[in-house]
Amino acid sequence: MALLECQEVTKNFGGLMAVTNVSLQLEKGEIVGLIGANGAGKTTLFNLISGFYPPTNGSIRFEGDEIAGLKTHDICRKGLVRTFQLVRPFHNMTVWDNVMVGALFGVQKCKNVSRAKEEAMKVLEFTGLHEKKEIPAKELTIADRKRLEVARSLATKPKLLLLDEVLAGLTSTETTEAMKLVRRIRDEMGLTIFMVEHVMKAVMGLSDRLIVLHNGEKIAEGNAKEVSKNPTVIEAYLGEKLHM
Amino acid sequence: MTTSKLGKYLSGLGLLGLVIFLCVIPFYSTDYIVSVLLDILTWIGLTQSWIILSGFTGYISLGHSAFFGIGAYVMAILWLKLPYPLIILISAMSSMTLAFAIGFPVLRVRGPYFVILTLGLSEFAKYIFINYEVNVKGTVGRILLGVPNIRTLYFSLLIIAIVTILCAYLIKRSRFGYGLFSIKEDEDAAESLGIDTSIYKWLALGISAFFPGAIGATMALRRTYIDPYSVFDPIVSFQIIVMAFFGGIGKLHGPVLGACILTLISEFFWARYPHYYLIILGVILVFIVKIMPSGILGIFDLFGKAGKVVKFVRRK
Repeated sequence: MALLECQEVTKNFGGLMAVTNVSLQLEKGEIVGLIGANGAGKTTLFNLISGFYPPTNGSIRFEGDEIAGLKTHDICRKGLVRTFQLVRPFHNMTVWDNVMVGALFGVQKCKNVSRAKEEAMKVLEFTGLHEKKEIPAKELTIADRKRLEVARSLATKPKLLLLDEVLAGLTSTETTEAMKLVRRIRDEMGLTIFMVEHVMKAVMGLSDRLIVLHNGEKIAEGNAKEVSKNPTVIEAYLGEKLHM
Repeated sequence: MTTSKLGKYLSGLGLLGLVIFLCVIPFYSTDYIVSVLLDILTWIGLTQSWIILSGFTGYISLGHSAFFGIGAYVMAILWLKLPYPLIILISAMSSMTLAFAIGFPVLRVRGPYFVILTLGLSEFAKYIFINYEVNVKGTVGRILLGVPNIRTLYFSLLIIAIVTILCAYLIKRSRFGYGLFSIKEDEDAAESLGIDTSIYKWLALGISAFFPGAIGATMALRRTYIDPYSVFDPIVSFQIIVMAFFGGIGKLHGPVLGACILTLISEFFWARYPHYYLIILGVILVFIVKIMPSGILGIFDLFGKAGKVVKFVRRK
């Protein structure tokens, strides 16, 4: 059984078809990249999967259960959590407290604060944020904020992690570090990762499989090589060849 | 580590001393002093209950005067029919029930709209009671006879204030509290981390409404005459906010300090310059908001920072 299965998911806002008939499957332990030009519907698809809004049509199954139409917090408790493209840490809380909230409320739901603090510490060590644990989140660099965003999601103990452009805006060393982290999350924690990414080098290098969206439709799927040679993808990214 | 433990120990001891002092003082002072202290306790309880909703979740309520008014009216209706502590409890429960009843639709509204909505609802409640009094009862207000003496009321309010502070303190340190802070910081992110934000806000509103109900009930006995204009006075809501921000809403003792200091200042000016006291108070408030945006606690933080700088320079 696929971990996540979307069947003909459609979302329209008024007359605008943001996502049209998208079907996809994620197997356990995969890293799958979701690419496409701006406005292709990537973040909308993430919002649909994570329950920020219900799909207009279609079904989304997580571990076989229908989750389309469930509230975000219920979906999180089932083990599907997302990060935000524009990171949204709790600015006035310390790094440690930020991660602790994830441990308090996610899948594992630590009943008391001190237990959650311990759990959070493990995640902080895993993500390399433990030395900054007492710093308020607003004082972190962008790279660390993105790391915190991931750490906080990991603390909920998810099975599937949706990463929305965690590499955007990082320097090349930071990107390498972040890529290492993503790979370790899969290899050491055994999570499945579905990521939206614009940094092609990274997403090609990381993903087992790529899914390409264009104008809200899935136009291609396959490994990096297949996708980059796919004529429809080339057309979508680079435009049509001029026939003169 | 040891210094912070010592600090906690000392502040705990200080608190205990303060409570004992507040328990003993009414027996050794004039009615005037007791009435001032009673005022202070009222505002401490109100600001502290407001903090449970607005301080923790960031949903700034201008509707707490309605909870206060409901409490006062329940007391006026049931007075002499039931024992007095029981009526206080019923009043508090009534306020809480009302909050739970309106909670879900009201809390869907965020930011400035929530502020305006709560103000509107409390005015709405006021006019319902005015209408009821005038058209159904054919009166303007109610007189309460045979009320307990001021020292009894003082102790009631002391208990209510302590319970409110305790409640806020326990919530602040709990899982529930962290859920509320997350809502304040970023509601969508909180939701995506598994927090049932609608239920959490709803519970916070209900708990926050409980205490103003109890305080309103007690104050109805203190005033002995109530009408909708006086107990649903929006000034109550405004005053709560002013006091909370004056003290600083980041920590629990901020609003307590704010309530104490502002009550004393206004009492002082009211007694000495009855014609100018509101003007003076206004100027002070503008001044304070201007120079200390994070309240009185902000000054302590500044001192703390200055101390660090001095230490740093000396080491160099």
